[in-house]
Amino acid sequence: MKHIVIKDVINSELAVSTENGMKIFEIVDSCLQRKEKVELDFAGITIMITAFLNAAIGSLYSKKEYTGEFLNEYLKLENVEMDDRILFRDVIQRAKEYFADKESFEKNSNDALYGND
Amino acid sequence: MIITIPNDIKSEFEGYDFIITWINKHQNVNNSEITFDFEKVTFLEANLCALIGTIFEILESKNNKISLKNINTAIETILRKNAFLVPFGFERIDDNYDTSLTYMKFTPNDDSGFYNYIQNELLSKPQFPSHSKKLGKEITRNIFEIYENARTHGKCDYIHTCGQFFPRKVDKPLHFTIVDKGVNIKQNVSDYLNKEIGGADAIEWAMIKGNTTKTGVTSGGLGLSVIFEFIKLNRGKIQIISSDGFYEFKNGNVVKAKLNSIFEGTIVNIKFNLNDSNHYVLIQEVEDFDNIF
Repeated sequence: MKHIVIKDVINSELAVSTENGMKIFEIVDSCLQRKEKVELDFAGITIMITAFLNAAIGSLYSKKEYTGEFLNEYLKLENVEMDDRILFRDVIQRAKEYFADKESFEKNSNDALYGND
Repeated sequence: MIITIPNDIKSEFEGYDFIITWINKHQNVNNSEITFDFEKVTFLEANLCALIGTIFEILESKNNKISLKNINTAIETILRKNAFLVPFGFERIDDNYDTSLTYMKFTPNDDSGFYNYIQNELLSKPQFPSHSKKLGKEITRNIFEIYENARTHGKCDYIHTCGQFFPRKVDKPLHFTIVDKGVNIKQNVSDYLNKEIGGADAIEWAMIKGNTTKTGVTSGGLGLSVIFEFIKLNRGKIQIISSDGFYEFKNGNVVKAKLNSIFEGTIVNIKFNLNDSNHYVLIQEVEDFDNIF
């Protein structure tokens, strides 16, 4: 079990940049790749925005092997304030749609370019 | 070269159009001494210092030297209170009524500087109406969403900010302006969609929940849609200007227009209605957070 304190990793109480979100993603991703459970601890984060969460959490859906079921089992979110929880829901919903669309978009583009035979 | 500034440029379509047309007309001026003559100016919306500062940055990057003259006492006072005139040799004066937000230039990665600015300049002002912790946090977060959008989408060197509070008006508006020069939204969206799209339409596209020009593993989006919901509830206003697009969201309605010239960057102007006694419950219950994925 890996316990990741976000504030310590990004060295800030402000989770407000895509770059820092990517840092978190990379650590979480490396744990999940080896099927190590992760506790992602948001304690002490004063401001969090969707751009950060898109990178940190939303990006996980770019990997097909990370199903909702898998993430619910292997990734636990801790110390998330009540009023920030809606952001997670929006970001996760959006990421699911985006990566589903992306696949169909790329398939359609490839079909248009190269035919589908 | 002497440039006469007209009186009462407002943060409205006409004001932006005027300033952007002007910078386009003078974009090839270099190695010159440019004097801005304020003789006709008796009123100025001080939040526009963010845009004027950006224009100065553009001109100075072309080795022009800028000076100012004939600033009347009232305007000088406002521009010394918000520190805009400090680089021009004026001393800053105290803002006894606390209606100014300091004119500042931030580098794109100065998170804590920008955070402190919002807390100290905006939310901690004695004149600022009492507000819940939640409302303060929402305002901060929404501004950061815009700030992040400017720095990742615009790829800018500086983000210029300024603001002005008008406590005598009924709704006690606070205008807060953020400007960056860099890639404009129209270019971003046209590249992404692989077709030419109008400036205002491009901004509207970017405002739709979830639309983003970011590609790769980051899904992006959402950022600006959050503030729209808040501004609607607050009965405020948000204007976004980029390329030749003017986009305004006010009273739940969208107005789009085409500017006569192109601005290579993005202007965001937000009007917060601070005479707002509503209690904000922006959160929705998120059921089963333990199984959020």
